[in-house]
Amino acid sequence: MKTTRTILEGVISLILGFGLGLTYAWVISPVKFVDAEPQALRADFKDHFRSAISAAYASNGDLERARARLALLNDPDPAQALSAQAQRMLASGASPESVQQVALLASALQGQAAAEVPTQTPTDTAIPTEKPGNTPTSAPGETPPTVEVQATNTSIPEITSTPRPTLTPTATLGAPYQLVGQDTICEPDLAEGLLQVYVTTASRKQVPGAEIIVTWNNGEEHIFTGLKPEINHGYADYLMAPEVIYSIRMADGGAPASGLSAPTCTSTEGEAYLGGLRITFQQP
Amino acid sequence: MSRWILILFSIALGIALGLAYGWAIAPVQYTDITPDGLRIDYRTDYVLMTAEAYRSEQNPALAARRLAVLGSEPPAIIAEGAYDYARQAGYEEADLAAIQELAIALETWQPIPVTSAP
Repeated sequence: MKTTRTILEGVISLILGFGLGLTYAWVISPVKFVDAEPQALRADFKDHFRSAISAAYASNGDLERARARLALLNDPDPAQALSAQAQRMLASGASPESVQQVALLASALQGQAAAEVPTQTPTDTAIPTEKPGNTPTSAPGETPPTVEVQATNTSIPEITSTPRPTLTPTATLGAPYQLVGQDTICEPDLAEGLLQVYVTTASRKQVPGAEIIVTWNNGEEHIFTGLKPEINHGYADYLMAPEVIYSIRMADGGAPASGLSAPTCTSTEGEAYLGGLRITFQQP
Repeated sequence: MSRWILILFSIALGIALGLAYGWAIAPVQYTDITPDGLRIDYRTDYVLMTAEAYRSEQNPALAARRLAVLGSEPPAIIAEGAYDYARQAGYEEADLAAIQELAIALETWQPIPVTSAP
């Protein structure tokens, strides 16, 4: 009996002591991290960090340095983290320049920013092998009359490629983009009213970070290529509302594509649905 | 007497175990720190990124906004502190020059006061 009591007292004392020790270690004098690493930063400060890395990369073009810096944040997929951040920045109204910088670095990390778009005749549209997802960037709400869009092709002037000092082609230099492809897309798997925009250089390289202005009756939206590198680095999309007429143009200038609206398509079962459009801009 | 010795020993052992658990096995985790808690070399690299961007942007206001996340000190002081550390740590000349250029620009830069419309 006495032995049992002694053991009980010992156990209770041990637990009491453990509690006191833990209180001291966790509350009174916890381990302090005064020399923290970037991976421990709060999410919004990680965004600041990525933006600074992107801005530095836009300035010095040193991809390896940018890659090493991004590794400090310990993101599972740095390129994906940058793309997601670019979309968050776009949604929060960040400056187009800063969004472009983040999108450019995301594309450069993918290692395909300078990849050639499959060779086609000059009047064809550059079409990627991947299918766009069903998550367009934005959509307005308007209801003007429907205008049927015909696929039109524009001939490309003589190619005058401009050598560039940076690793990644950007949308800010060179001649204004020209509309070279406008196709109606009837694919039931795509989001209804999906406006797909592809931007390429004169040598048909995908251009990430290009700003595109979408306008309609009383509204305007800015979208950027490079935010969905899994589709194409020169790709951007927008969800058109039914019976709204749109016009899109490159922010850097050039002729717009006007009178655009979501076409009406018919499925194999005979059901009508909203199709999409594929627009291609290219530098001459 | 031996009973109290056992109790005190148990408490001491418990404290030791508690400290070991709280400090070594499962210390307090800081996962959402602010940039002012970054190690000095990471802070300096952040300033260097800002300096590299400044070289092409030439926008001291934007650089000052970027440096503001590192604390409440004036941006010029932050840049100068980074330059001092970078020099001691043996950064490359080009990097030192970039930080110095930024520090000088921020020393002479005056933020434009916001005036409300009448």
